[in-house]
Amino acid sequence: MDGILNAIALLGAMGCVCGLALALAARYLGVKEDPRVGKITEALSGANCGSCGYAGCAAYAAAVANGTAPVDGCVPGGAAVASAVAAIMGVDFSGGDEPKVAFVKCGGDCDSATRRFAYNGIADCAAAAAVAGGDKGCPHGCLGYGSCANVCPAHAIAIAKGIAVVDESLCIGCGACVKACPRHVVELVPRSARVRVFCNSTDPGAAVRKYCSRGCIGCRMCVRNSAEGVVKVDGNLAHVDYSVPFDGDAAVAKCPVKCLRSVDA
Amino acid sequence: MKFLDKIFRFAGGIAPDGHKGDTSGIPLRRLPRPQTISVSMSQHIGAPSVPCVKVGDRVRRYQRIGDAAGPISSAVHTPFSGVVKSIAPSSTASTRVATAVTIAVDPDDADTDASLSPIDWRSASHDEIVARVRDAGIVGAGGAGFPTAVKLSPPPGRSIDTVIVNGAECEPYLNGDNRLMIERAADIWTGAQIIRRAVGASRIVVGIEDNKPEAIKAMAGAIGAGDGEIAVLPHSYPQGSEKHIIHSVTGRTVQTGHLPADVGCLVENVWTVVSITRAVVQGVPSVIRTLTIGGDAIASPANFAAPIGAMVPDIIAAAGGFGVQPAKAVCGGPMMGIAMPDLQVPITKTCSGLLFFTAASVHEFGSGPCIGCGRCIGACPMGLMPAEISQAVEANDLALAEKLKVMNCFECGSCAYVCPAHRPLVQHNRRAKAIIGARLRARK
Amino acid sequence: MSEYAILAFGAILAGNFVLSRFLGICPFLGVSTRLETAMGMSAAVIFVMTLASAVTWVVQTKVLAPLNLGALQTLVFILVIATLVQLVEIALRRLAPPLYRALGIYLPLITTNCSVLGVAVLNVKSGYDFPHSVAFAFSAGVGFALALAIFAGLRERIARANPPRAFRGVAIALVTAGLLSMAFMGFSGLGG
Repeated sequence: MDGILNAIALLGAMGCVCGLALALAARYLGVKEDPRVGKITEALSGANCGSCGYAGCAAYAAAVANGTAPVDGCVPGGAAVASAVAAIMGVDFSGGDEPKVAFVKCGGDCDSATRRFAYNGIADCAAAAAVAGGDKGCPHGCLGYGSCANVCPAHAIAIAKGIAVVDESLCIGCGACVKACPRHVVELVPRSARVRVFCNSTDPGAAVRKYCSRGCIGCRMCVRNSAEGVVKVDGNLAHVDYSVPFDGDAAVAKCPVKCLRSVDA
Repeated sequence: MKFLDKIFRFAGGIAPDGHKGDTSGIPLRRLPRPQTISVSMSQHIGAPSVPCVKVGDRVRRYQRIGDAAGPISSAVHTPFSGVVKSIAPSSTASTRVATAVTIAVDPDDADTDASLSPIDWRSASHDEIVARVRDAGIVGAGGAGFPTAVKLSPPPGRSIDTVIVNGAECEPYLNGDNRLMIERAADIWTGAQIIRRAVGASRIVVGIEDNKPEAIKAMAGAIGAGDGEIAVLPHSYPQGSEKHIIHSVTGRTVQTGHLPADVGCLVENVWTVVSITRAVVQGVPSVIRTLTIGGDAIASPANFAAPIGAMVPDIIAAAGGFGVQPAKAVCGGPMMGIAMPDLQVPITKTCSGLLFFTAASVHEFGSGPCIGCGRCIGACPMGLMPAEISQAVEANDLALAEKLKVMNCFECGSCAYVCPAHRPLVQHNRRAKAIIGARLRARK
Repeated sequence: MSEYAILAFGAILAGNFVLSRFLGICPFLGVSTRLETAMGMSAAVIFVMTLASAVTWVVQTKVLAPLNLGALQTLVFILVIATLVQLVEIALRRLAPPLYRALGIYLPLITTNCSVLGVAVLNVKSGYDFPHSVAFAFSAGVGFALALAIFAGLRERIARANPPRAFRGVAIALVTAGLLSMAFMGFSGLGG
C-alpha cells in the first residue's frame, strides 16, 4: 500500500511539474497558426503539382489564408475545390473555368515525319532541341524524347511511335508538361473540345510537305467547310476557336492531310 | 633561338590516336576557284557583323562586305571579286545560323583588288598595328574566333610580357597548323615579332608538340639568331588549350574568371599570327584559312588554304570526293568539333577541319548509369568531377552543378572519351552551362 | 580523462547506437534523405539525449532508488523524455520554422525513439555517476549524428545515381545501412 501510494504521488507530482513546464512553454514560445490553413490544405487536391505557382499544396493554403492567393488557384481541383476553399475563407465564389487537359499539337509520328539526322545523346527534348536545332525535320514538331512525360505528376503522357500522346482520362490539367516542352507543342485545351488541329508548324505548305505528310499546309479547306469564325488559318496554320461549339465532321472529312481530326477517333 | 628547358606538365588530359600521318606530309594548297561563295556575318565571338553591301552590288577582292557591330565584333571581307547575289539567313559548317552574303565569283580577280597599304611594323605604333588587325577582320583561328584586335589591347593595368605562339594542334586528324609551320615559318616568326612590338612584351615562345619534328626544325631555322624560344611540348590533349599552353610554357595558372592577360601572357594560334603578317606586311585582310579535310570516307585527304565562304561540297570535290559514303561529318576536330547535319553549308574563319567518317568508324553508343569508376575525374584537365556533375544535371540539381564548378568546363571532351559507360558527359555540361549562364545573366 | 575518451570512443564508434546497437533506426531511415535535415535532427537528438540522461539520472538516484520505486523506471523516464521532446518541438517551431517543417513527424518521434530511452536505461544499468552519465549520453548523441551524417550523404548520392526501380527509396537505403553497419563492426575490437 505504501509503495503504491508513493508511486501515485510521485507520478502525479512529476506529471504536474511537466504539465506546468509545457504550459508555460506553450504560452511564451507558442506560435499562432491560422486554423484555416489546415482546413484549406485538406480541401485541396493534394497533388503538389505546383500549377498554382506555389511550392506545394501547403504553401498555397498558407498564401490563401493570408490573402495573397486567389481561391481558385488550384487547377486540378477546378471549380469544386475553389468553392470549398471559398467557403472556408468566407467569400463568395461562382463560376469557374471549364476543366482543361493537355494536348500535344503534333501528328508527325515516325510514319509521317522525317528526321534530319541520327541523334545520339541525352534522351531529353530540351537537350535534343539544342543540338543543331533538333533532329526532327519539322522545326516546330514534337521531338518525342519524353521531357513532358517525365514531369507529369499523373503519369498521363506516353511516347507512342516517336511522339508524345496524352491520356485524357489521367490528365489533371496542371500544365507542368506545357512548361517542360522546349518547342511549345503542348497546350491546355478545354476537355470538351473534341476536334483539334494536330499540328504546330507555321511553315508554308510546300516546306511542310517536305518534312511531314500530316502537317497543316494552310489550304483552308477546314475554314470553307465549317461555320463562320470557328476555324481560322493564321501563319499557315489552322486554329480552332475552342470557346464556340464546333461540329467538325465536315471539316475533318475534307482535310487533305488529316491534321484536323477528332481526338476520339 | 633557344629551346625552353623547363616544360610544366598539366594534370589530366588524354592521349587519343592522333591519325596525324594521314595528312602530315601533304602540303597546303589553294582550293580551285569556286563559282559561288556564301560569306557568313557571324564568323567570330561577339555580335554578328552588319552587311555593308546590297544585292546586285559589284564587289572587289578583299573589299569589306560586313562592318563590325560593337566592341566585340569583327569586319568581314570577300576573298574574291564578284556580284552579290543574295543576303539571307543561312547555316554554316559550324551550325551557327546568321545572315550570309552570297557572291557569284568572277572568273578572275584582274584589276579588282581592295588591299590595304603595307605597314612597316618595325616602326609602327601599338595603335597602328591594332587598327590594321581590326580593319583586316582577324579573329582567333584556334576555333573560338575571338576578335584579335581586342585581345591585342589588354585592359588597363595589365601588361603582357610573354607572347605564346600556339602551334600545339592537339586535335587528332588536323594538320593545317603543322603544315603552316613547315611551309611558312618565316611568316610566323615575323607575325610573332609584330605582336610582341604591338603589346610591348619581351618574350616570344613558340609552343609545338613533339610529334611535329619537321615543324620544330622549320621554326628553329626561321627564328635563327633571333630572340625567340621554342617549347617542345608533350603531345597530349588538350595541350593546345589556351590555359594549358600558358601553364606548360610559363608555369603560371590563369584563375577562374580571369584572362591570360592577368598573368602577363598572350596566346595566338599560328594561322592567326600568319594572318597578322599578311595584314600588316601585305595589306591583305582575313579571307582564307588553313583547313584539313580527312577521315576514312574521303578519297584523298588533304590540307587546303580555303577561302571563307567556300561551300563544303566544293572542298569535298577538291579532295577527291567520298571514297565511301560518310555516316558522320564533323566541322573541326573529332574532340571539340561540331557534327554537321547538312553539307550544303559554307566554311567560316573558325573551321579548322572537315572530317568525314564511315559507318564502320562511328560508334552509336547507348549510355548507361555512372559506375563511379572515376576515370573522367582523372582525365579532366580543369580538375572537375564530370561524374558528379552529370549526375547532378540528370537529377536536375543545377545549384549543385554550379557548386561543382561546371562553369569552368571548356568542353574539351576528355571525360566523355574515357567514360566506359559512354555517358554523354559533355552534353550534360553544355546543358548545365547554358541554363546556369542564362540564370546568372538574368540576375545581373 | 582517458576514461571519458574511452567512453566516448565506445559510444561513437565501437558501440555506435545506430549501427552497432540498432537503436533509433526510425529517424535514421526517416530523416536521412537530405543532409541538412539530418544535421538538424542530430542536433535535436543530442540535446534531448544529454538533457534527458541528466534529468533521469537525478530522478533515478534521488527519487526512485531511495523510495524503492525502481519498477516505475520506464514510466518515469518516458515521461521526462516526452516532456523534453515536446519542449524542443515548441521551441523549434518558434525559433526555426523551416527545420520544424522539414523534420515533420520525426520530431515527436524522438519520444518513442528507443535510443534516448536506451541511453537513460544503460546509464543506470552501468552504474555511472553523474558526469559519466552525461558524457556517455552526449557521446551517444554524437555517434547518432555521425551515423546520420554518413548515411544522409550516401543517400543523397544514391538518389542521384538512379538505382533500379525495385531498389529505389527505402530498399537501397536498408541495404546500404546494413553495409555501413558491417563496416562499423571493424571498430569492435577497439575499446569495446
